[in-house]
Amino acid sequence: MLEAVLTSPFFGLGLSAAAWCAGVWVQKKTGWVLCNPLVVAGVLIIAFLSVFHIPLSQYNEGAEIIKMMLGPVTAVLALNIYHQRETLKEFFWPVLAGCLAGSLASLGSVLLLCRLFRLEDALTASLLPKSVTTAIALGIAESQGGIQGIAAVAVILAGLVGAVFAPMFAKWFRVHDPVAEGLAIGACSHALGTTKAMEIGEIQGAMSSIAICVCGIFTSLLALFL
Amino acid sequence: MHIMGELALIFGICLVGEGVAALLPVAFPASVISMILLMILLLAGVVKDRQIQTVSHFLVANMAFFFLPSFVGMIEHAELLKSQALPLVLIAVLTTPVVYLVTAWTVRLLMLGSKRRKEGGHA
Repeated sequence: MLEAVLTSPFFGLGLSAAAWCAGVWVQKKTGWVLCNPLVVAGVLIIAFLSVFHIPLSQYNEGAEIIKMMLGPVTAVLALNIYHQRETLKEFFWPVLAGCLAGSLASLGSVLLLCRLFRLEDALTASLLPKSVTTAIALGIAESQGGIQGIAAVAVILAGLVGAVFAPMFAKWFRVHDPVAEGLAIGACSHALGTTKAMEIGEIQGAMSSIAICVCGIFTSLLALFL
Repeated sequence: MHIMGELALIFGICLVGEGVAALLPVAFPASVISMILLMILLLAGVVKDRQIQTVSHFLVANMAFFFLPSFVGMIEHAELLKSQALPLVLIAVLTTPVVYLVTAWTVRLLMLGSKRRKEGGHA
């Protein structure tokens, strides 16, 4: 009986949904950025699997179904651009130039440091898309021969750094313009940073969510040349 | 629109994205092609945002949930992660302010330049 239960896709699906609810609950209770629902839920699932000695392949029976939805999740990010189309029209060139420069800086600095630390290729490929939103980063990591799990961790780290330090970055780097600030937050720390950008101001939030899409496209294009 | 209609539309776009990705001679993520495709359809007015609003709202509101399987998948590479934890964390953390700085200053210099040109035109 237990065998049938554990090999059913409902095991992975149910465990994921339950862990997610716990993650959201912990975030609400503590209010800490570090208690990100994805991190909490992920750690809970990993702990559950290892405590009960359940192989990852059994979890994946259901997890594959969730993973399949990454395509639609990425596709509907197009609404970010659509909803901000008036703002985008107004700041078309700054957005394009800023996001292109940001994507280049991200790929360049990651590549440089990976070489410096002599990381193997699969790790480098997993780290390259760390500044773009997870949905797109997973796609890039996969097509570059990277490891999705490591890419997800790197993306979350970058997002947390951006979300926590964005106000400090603005001070240190003397960024006072709301357009520049919003684009920079979105370019370096995607959706996690955008939440912070929305708190800082309306223009910052709008620019940050535009940057998520534009940097995602630029980074996937630039990655082709690596 | 009926929720099944919304799903059909979104799945259809993703299917075309997969098809285009398979035709391309390079490895480009199909999901990004679907996003660009939907963006074009929305901007051209072929697809209206209310035709996908229920499903897209659900997906966006719970976006990070769909990353869980990939995140959990890292335990397959636990050894690699453990041995390279320090460089991985350092790279992810240190490059973030670099991206912030370059993006913000590119925008700032560009806007400064266009402002000067405008002022020059008036003089």
